[in-house]
Amino acid sequence: MKNRNIFILFIALLFFSNVFGQDSTLIKDKAWYLPDYTKIQFAGNIGFFSVGFGFQFFNNHLYSELLYGYVPASISKAEKIHTITIKNTFPVFTKEINKIALSPITGFTASFETGNNSFLKLPDKYPKSYYNTNAFHFTLFIGAKVHKNFGYQKFIKGADVYFELGTVDRYLWYAILSKEVKFNQILSSAIGINLYF
Amino acid sequence: MKYLKMTLLKTNKIIVLIGFTIIFMACDKVFEFSPYEANVKEDNKNTTNKNLQLIQNIKLNSDTFSFAFVTDNHYHYDNLRTVIDDINKKDDILFVIFGGDIADAALLKEYEIFYNTLKNLNKPYLTVIGNHDYNSNGEVVYKQMFGNYNYSFEFNHNKFVIFDDVVWESNKTPDFDWLSTQLTDNALFKQVFVIAHIPPYSDQFDNDMEQTYKSLMQENNVQLLIHGHVHSYYFGKFYEDSVNYLTVPSLKKPTYCIINVHNKSFNFELIEL
Repeated sequence: MKNRNIFILFIALLFFSNVFGQDSTLIKDKAWYLPDYTKIQFAGNIGFFSVGFGFQFFNNHLYSELLYGYVPASISKAEKIHTITIKNTFPVFTKEINKIALSPITGFTASFETGNNSFLKLPDKYPKSYYNTNAFHFTLFIGAKVHKNFGYQKFIKGADVYFELGTVDRYLWYAILSKEVKFNQILSSAIGINLYF
Repeated sequence: MKYLKMTLLKTNKIIVLIGFTIIFMACDKVFEFSPYEANVKEDNKNTTNKNLQLIQNIKLNSDTFSFAFVTDNHYHYDNLRTVIDDINKKDDILFVIFGGDIADAALLKEYEIFYNTLKNLNKPYLTVIGNHDYNSNGEVVYKQMFGNYNYSFEFNHNKFVIFDDVVWESNKTPDFDWLSTQLTDNALFKQVFVIAHIPPYSDQFDNDMEQTYKSLMQENNVQLLIHGHVHSYYFGKFYEDSVNYLTVPSLKKPTYCIINVHNKSFNFELIEL
C-alpha cells in the first residue's frame, strides 16, 4: 500500500510539472506541453549518462526535468542500471557578465530504479514489512551554471553548462549520523548541458 | 577604477575556480553513477585472502589464543570504530571475525565505509556474509571486496568454517553439501568452530533445512557455532545436544565478544563498552 502511494505521488509529480508548464505560454510562443530544453548529464548518481527534457517555471526560478539515466554493465560491474529521475534545479541568483549569465545553483533529484535486486513491492518470501522498498533514492546538490543566448532565430537558441557537487540521501544521513563518515567520502560531481530549442 | 574592477572580478573567478578544484580533488570518488554500482576499487579487492595470509603468518607457541567476534554493523559506524579501538588495545586478540550484516542496504558506499573504518584495526579480520549484505548489488560487491561466501581455515590445530547460510536475500539454499565436506575431517582438529550469520533455529530456515543444519553440527562434533542476525545475546545448547550456540548482539550498542580458545575447550567474554 505504502509503495502504491509513493508511485501515485510519482505520477502526480509528473502531472504537476505539466500543469505548471502552462505558465510559460504567457511568456513564450510555444504550446504549454512542449519542453523548454533538452538535457544531457554525466554522473551525479542518476546514471553514467542521463538524457531528458525540462521546463522552466516561476520566471526561471525553477528548472524541472524528467530524465532517463543509463549505466552500462561494463561501468556498473553488475547489471545494467536504468534510472528514471525527476530533477529540480533552483538558480540562487543570476549575474550577467559579458552577455553570459552566471548562477550558483542548488537542487534535488528523485530517482526510481528496479532491477539490480531492488524492488517496489516486497517479494512474497519475506515476512510483512521485513524491508522497505529500495527502488527510490534522492540526491541533493549545489553547483554553478553558465547560460548563453544564441538568439531567437537560431535553431539552438541558447545553452547552459553546469557543474555540481552532490550526494545521495542515505550517504548524507550516514555522514550526519557518524563521525566516522567524512563528507569527502560521500560527495561526488556531475557535469551537464541544457540546450534550448 | 575600471581596471581595478576587472582585476577584482578576475580574482573572484579564480577564487571560485580554485574552490571548486579543491573540493573536486578532495572527493574520494570524483564521479559516481548510481548507488547500485558495484565497481569495487582495485585496492579494496580480495580482502579475505589477504587476511587469511596474515593469519597464517601469526607465530604462536601456546595452545591458548583469543579472537574477537563483532556482528551486525549495519550503519553503526561510530560504534564499529569504538569496538575497533578497544580490540586494538588487547594484544591477546589475534584476529577478528565479523558476523555479517556489515552493510544495511548493501550499497557499494556502505561497503566502502566499512572497509575504510576497518583500516584502523591493527589485526587481521575476516567476514561472513549476512542477509542484508545480499540486498541491492551487495552479492557482487561482497564477492569482489572480500571473496568467497563459503571458506574455511585452520589455526593452531583448530578448524574455522565460515558458512553463508542466507536463504531469502540470496535466492539460494545454503550449500550444506559443502559444509558437510568441510566437517568430515573434524577428528584431525582440537576443536571445530562454525561461523554463520543466521542461527539454525532462526526465521529463514524451514523444518527440513533446520534438521539438516543441526544434525550436521551434532554428527561432526562442532564445539561452537557463532552467529549474529538476531541482535541479542544467547549462549547454550539450543537443541539439548552436544553443540553450543552463541549469538552476539548487534553494533547498535558498542558490544562484541572475545572467544578464548584453550587446548580442548573454550570460554568467552561479552564486552559492553
